Amino acid sequence: MALTNIKKEEKEKIVSKDFPEYIREDIKDPGLDESIKKLTPEKIEKVINAVIGKKSSRIKAIIETCMHCGLCAEACQWYLSNDKDPTYAPVAKMRMTIWELINRKGKVDAEFIKQCARIVFTECNICHRCSMYCPFGLDITFIIGMVRRICFLLGVIPQRMFEMNQAFMATLNQVWISQNDYIDALLWREEEGAPEIKDFRIPIDKEGAEVIWFPLAAEPKSGFYHIDRIAKIMQVAGVNWTMCSKDGWDSSNMPMFIRDFVTMQRIVKGLFENTSRLRASRIVLTE
Amino acid sequence: MYDFIKDPNFYNLVRGPLVWIAFIIFIAGSIYRVKSLIDLAKKEKVIFPFINLKATLKSIFHWIIPFGSKNWRLRPVITTVTFLFHICLVFTPIFLLSHNLLWYESWGISWWTLPESIADIMTIVVIICCVFFLLRRIFDPTVNFITFSPDVIFIAICFLTFFTGFLAYHQWLLPYNIMLYLHILFGEIMLISIPLTRLTHMFYFFLTRAWMGSQFALWRTKDW
Repeated sequence: MALTNIKKEEKEKIVSKDFPEYIREDIKDPGLDESIKKLTPEKIEKVINAVIGKKSSRIKAIIETCMHCGLCAEACQWYLSNDKDPTYAPVAKMRMTIWELINRKGKVDAEFIKQCARIVFTECNICHRCSMYCPFGLDITFIIGMVRRICFLLGVIPQRMFEMNQAFMATLNQVWISQNDYIDALLWREEEGAPEIKDFRIPIDKEGAEVIWFPLAAEPKSGFYHIDRIAKIMQVAGVNWTMCSKDGWDSSNMPMFIRDFVTMQRIVKGLFENTSRLRASRIVLTE
Repeated sequence: MYDFIKDPNFYNLVRGPLVWIAFIIFIAGSIYRVKSLIDLAKKEKVIFPFINLKATLKSIFHWIIPFGSKNWRLRPVITTVTFLFHICLVFTPIFLLSHNLLWYESWGISWWTLPESIADIMTIVVIICCVFFLLRRIFDPTVNFITFSPDVIFIAICFLTFFTGFLAYHQWLLPYNIMLYLHILFGEIMLISIPLTRLTHMFYFFLTRAWMGSQFALWRTKDW
């Protein structure tokens, strides 16, 4: 097949009406396009003032210390991989989101919120590299997180992240696995591993174990072979370990990425409660 | 305007009450700014329990010396200019002979002074660095995108203070006393603007570094 024949599809470019430098391809996402139709100026102002109206010490320190020097730019992989486009610099992301929200005192339109959501959700990975490069050590990602929270409270979230968060709200794991299916997956992997190692066990709800292992939700769902591999390693290494059967076993905390504080807290609390219920002394998570 | 500045009453004003106002606003304002930020931080329960003194000092140390951190080493030109600018900006006014004389005449106190020729060179360095920063704001697209009017005004305040001081010392361009009055006036504007604007970064530097240094210590890595 001749690869040269495949034409790269030229997508329509849109220019931001607030910032002429901000030119991006038009990408349709129901999470952004549909949800901004429900927004009203009052609602937007109320949410923005609730989150950043009374500036907390961290927001204050960041906004009032930043000297607009642009030294954080080189840290950002988005900036470097987009030919040093000024609009991808970490400080430019602050300039296009929170500085405007503060300067306009929350009086922005729905289109601006959509643009903010696009910047903070799809053009920043919250990796903290910019903080390592900033001479003042300003936590730019904290600001990005605050803007994500504003977008979350307004319901303007990329659809995929929104659905993932719904899964967490309902089942405390990101792939809609029920407790039955989860236990079933663990027992099945124990069966699968049994022919290879003598007395192979995946201990479930063993009290007083040294290590409790919380997998990622993708492991029982699609990467199930990880479970018996980890179990084999634990067994051969002679670790006194266990897994947990109750909900609150998924260690991936996706609600953190949209700053849904309630669900974030439920997940972490679930892990710690399961650990203390089983009196395990160490938590091991899949990274 | 020219007559207004030439008037001896103007000298009495900038040399008398305005100096007091400037220093009171500078000192009291700075203390207030730092204290209010720390008080605000105490309200957020997640800040003070995580402050790690050792990591804070390490972080400040690595960023306050030239080429002490990764980003300083990656950008030698900016690093050199920034450090020259800030060192000259802070130390020239404090250790200048004529400033010291003013302190001695008023309060009878004095401390070490810089040789006049070195002070002159340091002043020129500040002026050149100001021009460099201004050109960078105009021609670097990344920095240009985030430049607001205050950023240019900060540079202008520094530039005018040091430039008028330099011209007054050499008695160029305008008559000496007029240049001197302007120099004093701009110096007072600079002192007043430190606590009132983002120039507070000279104090907030230590606080923000304390937070980020402690954060990175928590993540078992370093932020320099």
